[in-house]
Amino acid sequence: MATATSVPTEAGPAGEPDATPARRRRSWRQLPIVHQLGQSVGLQRGMLVAGLVLMGVFLLTALFAPLLAPYEYGQLRDAEGLFGAQQSPSGDHLLGTTVGGYDVLSRVIWGSRTALYVIVVAVLLSIVAGVLLGLVSGYFGGWLDRVLVVIADAIYAFPALLLAIIVAIVISGGQSSLWGGILAAAISITVVFIPQYFRVVRAETVRIKAEAFVESARVIGASNRRIMLRHVLRNATRTLPLILTLNASEAILTLAGLGFLGFGIEATEAAEWGYDLQQSLSDVTSGIWWTSLFPGLAIVLVVLGLTLVGESLNDLADPRLRTRRRVADQEPAEEGEVAAVPGGALTRGPAGVGGLGVTVAGERPGTPASAGATGAEPADGQVAGPDVTGQDGGGTRS
Amino acid sequence: MTTTTTEPTGGTADPVGAPDPAPRRRRKGSGGLGSYLLVRFLLIFPTIFILVTTVFFLMRATGDPITAALGGRLPADQLAERVREAGYDRPLFTQYLEYLGALVQGDFGTTLSDRRPVLEVLTTFGIATLELTVYALIVAFIVGIPLGMLAAYSRDRFPDAVLRVFAILCYATPVFFAGLLLKLVFASGLGWLPVAGRASTGTEIELQFLDNPTGFYLIDAIQTGDWDVISDVLEHAVLPAIALGLLTAGIFLRLVRTNVIGTLGTGYVEAARSRGVAESRLLRKHAYRPALIPIITVMGLQIAILLVGAVLTETTFEWKGLGFQLAQYLQARDFVAVQGIVVLLAVIVAVTNFIVDIIAALIDPRVRY
Amino acid sequence: MNSVSRSGRRALVATAGITATALALSACGGDDGDGGGSGGGGDSLIVGTTDKITTIDPAGSYDNGSFAVMNQVYPFLMNTPLGSPDVEPDIAESAEFTSPTEYTVTLKDGLTFANGNELTASDVKFSFDRMVAINDENGPASLLYNLDSVEAPDDTIVVFNLKSPDDQVFPQILSSPAGPIVDEDVFAADALTTDQEIVEGNAFAGPYAITNYDQNNLVSYEAFDGYQGLLGAPETETVNVRYYADSSNLKLDVQEGNVDVAFRSLTATDVEDLRSDDSVQVVDGPGGEIRYITFNFNTQPYGATTPEADPAKALAVRQAAAHLIDREELAEQVYKGTYTPLYSYVPEGLTGAVEPLLEQYGDGSGAPDVEAARQVLEAAGVQTPVELDLQYSNDHYGPSSGDEYALIKDQLESSGLFTVNLQTTEWVQYSKDRVADVYPAYQLGWFPDYSDADNYLTPFFLTENFLANHYSDQQVNDLILEQATTVDPAERQALIEQIQAEVAQDLSTLPYLQGAQVAVTGTDVQGAEDTLDPSFKFRYGALSKG
Repeated sequence: MATATSVPTEAGPAGEPDATPARRRRSWRQLPIVHQLGQSVGLQRGMLVAGLVLMGVFLLTALFAPLLAPYEYGQLRDAEGLFGAQQSPSGDHLLGTTVGGYDVLSRVIWGSRTALYVIVVAVLLSIVAGVLLGLVSGYFGGWLDRVLVVIADAIYAFPALLLAIIVAIVISGGQSSLWGGILAAAISITVVFIPQYFRVVRAETVRIKAEAFVESARVIGASNRRIMLRHVLRNATRTLPLILTLNASEAILTLAGLGFLGFGIEATEAAEWGYDLQQSLSDVTSGIWWTSLFPGLAIVLVVLGLTLVGESLNDLADPRLRTRRRVADQEPAEEGEVAAVPGGALTRGPAGVGGLGVTVAGERPGTPASAGATGAEPADGQVAGPDVTGQDGGGTRS
Repeated sequence: MTTTTTEPTGGTADPVGAPDPAPRRRRKGSGGLGSYLLVRFLLIFPTIFILVTTVFFLMRATGDPITAALGGRLPADQLAERVREAGYDRPLFTQYLEYLGALVQGDFGTTLSDRRPVLEVLTTFGIATLELTVYALIVAFIVGIPLGMLAAYSRDRFPDAVLRVFAILCYATPVFFAGLLLKLVFASGLGWLPVAGRASTGTEIELQFLDNPTGFYLIDAIQTGDWDVISDVLEHAVLPAIALGLLTAGIFLRLVRTNVIGTLGTGYVEAARSRGVAESRLLRKHAYRPALIPIITVMGLQIAILLVGAVLTETTFEWKGLGFQLAQYLQARDFVAVQGIVVLLAVIVAVTNFIVDIIAALIDPRVRY
Repeated sequence: MNSVSRSGRRALVATAGITATALALSACGGDDGDGGGSGGGGDSLIVGTTDKITTIDPAGSYDNGSFAVMNQVYPFLMNTPLGSPDVEPDIAESAEFTSPTEYTVTLKDGLTFANGNELTASDVKFSFDRMVAINDENGPASLLYNLDSVEAPDDTIVVFNLKSPDDQVFPQILSSPAGPIVDEDVFAADALTTDQEIVEGNAFAGPYAITNYDQNNLVSYEAFDGYQGLLGAPETETVNVRYYADSSNLKLDVQEGNVDVAFRSLTATDVEDLRSDDSVQVVDGPGGEIRYITFNFNTQPYGATTPEADPAKALAVRQAAAHLIDREELAEQVYKGTYTPLYSYVPEGLTGAVEPLLEQYGDGSGAPDVEAARQVLEAAGVQTPVELDLQYSNDHYGPSSGDEYALIKDQLESSGLFTVNLQTTEWVQYSKDRVADVYPAYQLGWFPDYSDADNYLTPFFLTENFLANHYSDQQVNDLILEQATTVDPAERQALIEQIQAEVAQDLSTLPYLQGAQVAVTGTDVQGAEDTLDPSFKFRYGALSKG
């Protein structure tokens, strides 16, 4: 019983022994998203591609905003005089003008830039802080862990948007310059996100810490830092692409929420979708649809794109959810790569882990039976672990 | 969710001396469970304390309510005089201790911007938010769970793709944008449903003359026994419930789909089968177990998301609940009110988390620490 | 595989169960019932507003939303009749200076509160004494700056002892937020009384009494027949006031007929749209709210504490700005006519309002004049473009401030004479910064405490003033003090006009917009035009529906 239960568990995140050869074949195909793209099939690929296209359009728009936008975001008049407020879409203004007399198309385009700034700053800040804290906290445990968990829970408990509002007021000191606004939005989003990264990474760390391969590494005498970085971090951050894209989309939503509640960035400093939506509130009820529809759609499409990519990555990383291809196509090695212990580290801890993996591989229940239904995705064992083992504990109980 | 309950994974000594009291077996671990839950329960208090402290200092950093109210009206010296009289120029720490002292005695104070006892604000508006949340959860369940099942069963086929995109759209659309669109179509365009508010004026008046108004309008409306009143209250609830409910429904949909697919994953079935576990027993007893923790956890987390969503939904639809008031008080820099509401929210979320922890611990003892 | 489908069925069944329950719940929760019980009809009206009530205790609030309620339910000694900015006795028989520092008011006989208590001179004395005694930080006690003491020698006579003599503003102050008369048996003498206690105590003696009070949600008024004051009996017996946070909801409700009268504040877009809607009528009246740019005389370009301090150049910069502002464009593009161009310091509609800025700046007929601006800068030897830091508050003066200032920036810059650094700050910080000389030029607005020209001059142009912008002109200072004590109305009006002309030369502030009062009513509602007067008090009693 003991081996049977522990084995699949550790095999999953620890990675396959096949990981080593896979590494040698590394090429551009192994790059994160490209890799998953190749891995995907059918509708899943369709969704991933759709998401990537949306993200690509968003990124390109943000990068080339000055070229794409017909006017500046704060431009009110051209050679022929004022644009006029709330002009309906026309040749001069393809998407019309806002209540303030700005060109809607230009502001939607420039808005992508602001959104991108905020996403990048917010996500970077929160990943660095959240992952580090989560890793340390989960790995070492003890009073530090408890204190951090309590603080994270406390912050997490507070409605994110409101915390963001308060932080935005404090940080910006009420000023609304471009970078002031972006930093205020980004930092306030960060404050809210850190606990989320922290929670996820900590939980994963706690889980992985208990895995046999980490234990083995310890037995072998790997340093804490090494174990954390080599084994735990790699595996604990497997879910990060998902959280990252989700948080990027949440960053946009939070920024929009801030703008909508009146804590956004001013029109003359930058174009911001949430601010434009707020400004267009009374337009909506007056039959002026173009001022709110396009910034709103921009938000929805970007978030949609990010989420499609995020969920697709998640599904692909999770064999339970990945669309099964025919067994012949299966490349188990790739699987190991995602979460693999790097081949180069065969010397000490990983060697032990790898060794364990090899010895138990034959026992992996999925392998012999896999031909019919599924490839022997390593993580299957991981998923199956508790369920199977839970049977005598839980079974008798329930 | 992975390792084992039966296998002594921690066979080696814990090198960092991390407390790892997790009992290896449920049956042996009942004492551990008790103390774990006690610890978790006690942790509620520091959680609330931290929030209260954070919000206190943050709110003070955002400015005082007197300047917010009268900055455009009084000369600077008069303004400063008033701020001094109100005691807002004293050292922050003194004010903080004072506030904590009052809080411990159950004195939440009186709001500054509309002079109401905070406790009254909490009960009055809390019930309104509760009502909206209940409606929203009903919508979320009705929409999210069956569609999630449907998506799982038509996995990777066309309906699945449509449903997943629908789910993503549900939470990709800012609640206020969705609210605007709903209002535009159903209230302003088609005229089927009211624009905003919790009831029309006549109903509000009728409800306020009840002997025992609960503040839960549907219950109050039923008390009147007047069908017009009941339907009026319900009509007002439809759009806000949909706006807030769809946000959650999208998350439920995804969650149900993922977990149904996950727990029914063939790899698992094969694995179990290979070990000779009777299939019927396996499925009946254990198949859904691993799916439970994420679902419960997310349901717990939904409280926080719902509360945030409620701020925007309530603002969009003039649903005068805690979220709506919180936004108003925040504008007015009414820290007494904001702190009061935050304490309540903190308690709600902390207690929910506690319950989530209990359930999670009961399901998988390994989550204990 | 077999097991998958089996468990699948099981799950489906389980879900179906949940769904069925949920559907059943929602069936009783959502689908039934058409046509809600909407109020109104008969002799009642529903008013909608986005105002907010701080408290209905006069000593504890100093804002439009609270004062709007007080104007319906409390009597005043002096008040403005419909259609006029000038005060007359309200529940008083007479009111006059009996000596330079004694203002004596005689009450009408037999006044009562809605709860049956008698309203006597003692209540009046109590009302003013408690306001001064409580001196609440959110209250209007500071308006009683000239009040020394109040005496009530008998039941109907009240004597106000003033600090400075012949205060011509004092009668106006009796109609201001400092002036409501309250019941000494219900209100506490040294602390604020809660709204609940006030409503339960029925301590009202104005045209209406509150019968039901759900703060900032719904307030129900019923006409009080014991009111014998200036305003007369209300046209409508019952008025319900609904409070909104979002003006677009108010707009939709007035359009749908759920609200009979929408007053304060619909956005410009809402109003413009409603003007073309046949189901409602839009009623305009003069407004007391003004918008102006304040120049800080120390820190503006060439200001007194800048390295190149030069009063003449500083004045030229202010004048150039005055030449360049296109008020018509601001009023039309940003406010769609809900604000009108303002060329004076005292807004149109008030006694003593003149338009000195109209002739002195721009092309003389209200439009901007780039050439004049260029000349004035050249004449003073100012290098162009002038760099100007301009500040506005994005959250205090309505959602259009951003558009307003973007356009001002655009107007100044498109002349080529200015480079404007536009910045915005959240209100609390803004209030602190502006008096700390942080902003060289900045946005402010003003809503009067009482409808007298003095309220647009004294706070701004005395040497020690609310603006704290270091403007100091001895002659203006003296003139302002003089008009306040000039008894003869014509003489006082001449002084007020002279002050405006003087200030227009100096341009301590640059006024540019005046807010109109706009009410939107159902087509069957009358009387809104009567109460949209320069007293800036909206009286529900004038409204009727039929």
